[in-house]
Amino acid sequence: MAAPTRPPPLPDPQFVLRGTQSAVHALHFYRGTQGQGCPLLLSGSLSGLVHIWSLHTRRALTTLDGHGSQCVTWLQTLPHGHQLLSQGRDLRLCLWDLAEGRNAVVDSVRLESVGFCRSTVLAGAPPRWMVAMPGRGSDEVEILEMPSKTSVCTLKPEADAKPGMPMCLELWQQADSSPRPRLLAGYEDGSVALWDVSERKVCSRVTCHTEPVMGLDFDSQKARGVSGSAEKVLAVWSLDEQQSLKVCRTHELTNPGIADVMIRPDRKLLATAGWDHRVRIFHWRTMKPLAVLDFHTATVHCVAFADDGLLAAGSGDRRISIWSLYQRT
Amino acid sequence: MGVFDTPQEAFGILRPVCVQLTKSQTVENVEHLQAQLRAVSDSALQELQQYVLFPLRFTLKTPGPKRERLIQSVVECLTFVLSSTCVKEQELLQELFSELSACLYSPNSKKPAAVSEELKLAVIRGLSALMHSAYGDIILTFYEPSILPRLGFAISLLLDLAEQEKSKQVKIAALQCLQVLLLQCDCQDHPRSLDEHEQKQLGDLFASFLPGISTALTRVITGDFKQGHSIVVSSLRLFYKTVGFIMADEQLRKVSKVQAKPAVERRVAELMIHRTADWVKNTGDKLTILIKKIIECVSVHPHWKVRLELVELVEALLLKCNQSLVESAGPLLKALVGLVNDESPEVQAQCDKVLRHFADQKVVVGNRAFADILSENLHSLATSLPRLMNSQDDQGKFSTLSLLLGYLKLLGPKVNFILNSVAHLQRLSKALIQVLELDVAGIKVVEERCWNSDDLSASPKASAARPWNQIQRRYFRFFTDERIFLLLRQICQLLGFYGNLYLLVDHFMELYRESVVYRKQASMIVNELVAGAAGLEVEDLHKKHIQTSPEELREIVTSVLEEYTSQENWYLVTCIEAEEMGEELTMKQSSLQAITSNAHTCQVTSSPALSKPSPTVCSMNSNIWQICIQLEGIGHFAYALGNDFRLLLMSALYPVLEKAGDQTLLISQAATSTMMDMCHACGYDSLQHLINQNSDYLVNGISLNLRHLAQHPHTPKVLEVMLRNSDASLLPLVADVVQDVLATLDQFYDKRATSFVSVLHALLAALAQWFPDRRQLQEQSLGKEGSHLSQRPATLQKGLENTTTAKDIEQFLLNYLKEKDVADGNVLDFDSEEEEPSVPPEVGKSDTRPDVEPPLPLQIQIAKDVMERCIHLLSDKNLKIRLKVLDVLDLCVVVLQSHKNQLLPLAHRAWPSLVHRLTNDDPLAVLRAFKVLRTLGGKCGDFLRSRFCKAVLPKLAGSLVTQAPISARAGPVYSHTLAFKLQLAVLQGLGPLCESLDLGEGDLNKVADACLIYLSAKQPVKLQEAARSVFLHLMKVDPDSTWLLLNELYCPEQFTPPHPSLCPVQLRGATGQQNPYTANVLHLLKELQ
Repeated sequence: MAAPTRPPPLPDPQFVLRGTQSAVHALHFYRGTQGQGCPLLLSGSLSGLVHIWSLHTRRALTTLDGHGSQCVTWLQTLPHGHQLLSQGRDLRLCLWDLAEGRNAVVDSVRLESVGFCRSTVLAGAPPRWMVAMPGRGSDEVEILEMPSKTSVCTLKPEADAKPGMPMCLELWQQADSSPRPRLLAGYEDGSVALWDVSERKVCSRVTCHTEPVMGLDFDSQKARGVSGSAEKVLAVWSLDEQQSLKVCRTHELTNPGIADVMIRPDRKLLATAGWDHRVRIFHWRTMKPLAVLDFHTATVHCVAFADDGLLAAGSGDRRISIWSLYQRT
Repeated sequence: MGVFDTPQEAFGILRPVCVQLTKSQTVENVEHLQAQLRAVSDSALQELQQYVLFPLRFTLKTPGPKRERLIQSVVECLTFVLSSTCVKEQELLQELFSELSACLYSPNSKKPAAVSEELKLAVIRGLSALMHSAYGDIILTFYEPSILPRLGFAISLLLDLAEQEKSKQVKIAALQCLQVLLLQCDCQDHPRSLDEHEQKQLGDLFASFLPGISTALTRVITGDFKQGHSIVVSSLRLFYKTVGFIMADEQLRKVSKVQAKPAVERRVAELMIHRTADWVKNTGDKLTILIKKIIECVSVHPHWKVRLELVELVEALLLKCNQSLVESAGPLLKALVGLVNDESPEVQAQCDKVLRHFADQKVVVGNRAFADILSENLHSLATSLPRLMNSQDDQGKFSTLSLLLGYLKLLGPKVNFILNSVAHLQRLSKALIQVLELDVAGIKVVEERCWNSDDLSASPKASAARPWNQIQRRYFRFFTDERIFLLLRQICQLLGFYGNLYLLVDHFMELYRESVVYRKQASMIVNELVAGAAGLEVEDLHKKHIQTSPEELREIVTSVLEEYTSQENWYLVTCIEAEEMGEELTMKQSSLQAITSNAHTCQVTSSPALSKPSPTVCSMNSNIWQICIQLEGIGHFAYALGNDFRLLLMSALYPVLEKAGDQTLLISQAATSTMMDMCHACGYDSLQHLINQNSDYLVNGISLNLRHLAQHPHTPKVLEVMLRNSDASLLPLVADVVQDVLATLDQFYDKRATSFVSVLHALLAALAQWFPDRRQLQEQSLGKEGSHLSQRPATLQKGLENTTTAKDIEQFLLNYLKEKDVADGNVLDFDSEEEEPSVPPEVGKSDTRPDVEPPLPLQIQIAKDVMERCIHLLSDKNLKIRLKVLDVLDLCVVVLQSHKNQLLPLAHRAWPSLVHRLTNDDPLAVLRAFKVLRTLGGKCGDFLRSRFCKAVLPKLAGSLVTQAPISARAGPVYSHTLAFKLQLAVLQGLGPLCESLDLGEGDLNKVADACLIYLSAKQPVKLQEAARSVFLHLMKVDPDSTWLLLNELYCPEQFTPPHPSLCPVQLRGATGQQNPYTANVLHLLKELQ
């Protein structure tokens, strides 16, 4: 008879970063300042520290302490200038200058609500950029023009909608002749809404989950997005010409709870961070499950992709695992 | 010294003598003349030169037979005159020359005359002196075409002498005289430097003699070795000076196409030679034959001075005649190159100097013809190399390889011409691989084991004195000479230095992958290539050579390193680990098999096949060497990259450390020295430093490998080593790995408990060391002053002494009553104030989260988790594991002592199985369990006391009592029984335990009662000793009652009351009466006092 086939070996992370000493809640890849050369990984931890890791030496280069021991929930570098935005549970959005090895807070914005919602950024003509963040009212989203910090608008759902708090945000811009900033927001009631920022109104809304939306990502080229929630289902929705959202398919998972979803920059892979300690990889076009990355021993809070395809996952077990998957050749 | 300075005076004394000589030509007269001459100053003699010479020449010229003795003395006298004066007239010079040379030959034959050696010597010296005395330009006028016949005649005479004469002295004199005649004399200012034109003229003249001189000299040079080295040296010198002069490129370049008509008679003109291109070509060809002969003979000459002269010859000829003698360049270079590694350091040094000189002058690289010749030579050497390596003996191999090395040195960067030819690279590599084959037949390599593998600190400090390239002794199949290995390494290093490293490494790694047969050699070669490429130890003859850039080198090293440490090349079967490796072994073997299946059927390749699961000694041997070589390579790489290697530590350190703990001595030695290399290269002070600084990389490897424990059974070992060599800063990094370990342990309870338990042991030992309890530290420092336990026997002792006063007794009694009072519970209020005030609720930052307890320190959490596992493992089937677990448990208690809230519940849970260990287990386990109990007793005595007394003590005491009669009766064999060991263990353990638990009186009595029986002399000695130790401990706890108890057994003396008011005491132990307990009791009482 045929020999018993061994299960394929457990995939291993390429390496693991240790030393945050508390749960990792935010990850972001950063190409580094000129001259430094090597790519960096930024991680934000429960203890309020931001670690800057060199992927070259696999060691922490520096630690930024700016959120008074409160959890860092979101990290994002700006496309121009070497600046980093970090959002913390101390209700501050800090802007760091990282150029030439500096690490100082150059500006900060006060957040108005304690929520789980991560902010989002849209870069305009330098040096201008726009940030969307949870606003004063529990269901509001506030949009600021940066770096002047002038409020552009506050997006408040209609009185009868009652979608609850915004849980995750995604600013993007249509790549046509008249770029208009749009905002995708996932709400507490499980719905995803598309806002037209300049007109301050909801273009479309679709309810794809029964539980709060925990994370969403949008592929503006294919006009398709994906969202994960506290329940077992991953929803893929699309945006048609009439600017209306439509759920096109759902994917059932074995365990409930998705903390974060991320589409790889080349739009080929999708990664989800699971409360079941696992990272799942899907083929983005077909939504075919490709791999389950089982390494962490606590909830995976966040995933991030680098430009070269490297995947990082941060977890409650205080580790950041780095995976090399389906590398582009 | 001249006594007679003026010619007048000199003439005065010389005249009678000269007249006398002219009249009567006798030896005496000649000698008389010479004696007088000594008293004449040089300047005076110069004036009188002709006058003095006359009688002498007259004597020579008088016809008729002369006595040799006379001629000799005349010639000697003549020589004396000539050496102090100079000849200023050309005719005189010519005449004297003819007259002197005539002395040497017999007119009837053309051979030298059969005269005495002394005469020959005298004549030769005379000729030398004559040529030296020629004044100024006279000498040039002497060398005119017309002199050719006479000169030729003299030269051929001298050559004959050099060749055929018996006397060494004569031969050498003849050779030196030839040198003088050909104006190639060694002395400083003779001849005065000639201008180009003069040189050319002389060259034309001497060219006629070249064939004769060169052939004759070749015969001398290639003659018997026994003729003495100085003759060969002189001949060689004469040869290259003459050839170098006549064939000098500089002269030949100026030779005109048409021969100038010399104004001489025809007979002489026929002798003249015009050095046309054709002539040069022909002569060159002929000379090449001679040079080849000479080189062949001389390069193996046993005397080093001869070989040294050969180097000079090569230098002179290659520098002066590299165009005229282009055909000889090959053999000449070969000779030079072959001597680079001569056994004589002088020759080596000279060779080196010459090579350097050549390189500086770009003689080889700058000269296409030479480079071509060299490459051609190298080509042909590469072609024949495999055959030569096969057939030659050690000496032959040595010279062949020296030659190869020399070519590489000379060619420098141009070596790539050869390497780029696939066929030649293959030949070369085949030869190297073949000759480097190791002898792996010995069994010793597999047998040697190292037992204390985990103690890195025992290994020698990373001292700077150790050279980087010192490597383990190897045994090769095809040679035994160490020098050959050295040569091979140098060759590889040079190849790496000059060659295209990508190409070479690629080629050899291909071979590495191709077959097990090649693998060891290929990796050896690659190691040296890399070391060479980094320029370690390579002396560069070619200054402007561009080395492999550091980036390229790093890239290459990274890829080789990856290959070396890959699963199938790093985890080779080196020993039969029956119990540790199960199915995964066979799985690994199958993958190996796949690689080796295309190998030749060599004994080495007999790799583990699936059909026969135990690998042969040979293949294990081979694997061991393979790993050692790879380890050594990693060390080389570290040196090659220097500080750049730090980045590679993340992938290299883990595998090397793993091998440092290998059971096979050879491997662990190699790995340790590799780590040492890494230390040096990356600038760490010691191995500990290296491990400590890079523990994050290690942790990464460990945690990933723990996930695949079946493939990496040694991972726990690495963790262990790392823990031993790190400090507290490691803990945050390692915390999650510890959790992984525990999780894996839970998963593989049955299979891998042994290795994990030792990791836990290392971990807890580290924790205990990193986080010492502060209170304990304080206690320790206080304890040195003496605790109350040690004070009490002192007071007691005092009390027992006869000098006590009534006051002392009174005080003693009062104290006693007070203590009794306290013991009965009548506590006065004085110690109520010691009670701690109730802890006020904490106010501060922490009340932001009042409901959450502050998290436990990491080490406490870990110790807690570990202790939990220990509770389960305490009842493991394997004794070894139980023992180790007891040790771990002990450490857990130590670490947890400051956190009673955590410790006590765990201790409570561990208690039942600990009791089991104490009461029914192997004696060894009993002993360890006692140790744990003691520690536990020390940390939480109150918690334990009653439990111990209730659950353990009765059983132990009971078993001791019931066993006592048996052991008392038993014979000597009893000490080998389990019962005995158990008794011993209990007795040994009880004492310390009683002390640390601070047992009450009743329990102490129980212990004492049970142990008393063992003080009997009937018991085995060891048990008596153990029992004594129990009592010694009891004395510390309660000296008084112990004293009483012992005295009741046997009382050594009558007690006289210290004060008459007290009545005498009578104890039960009868005084003076011997009983079985006497000896031990006396012994103990002595201790008590």
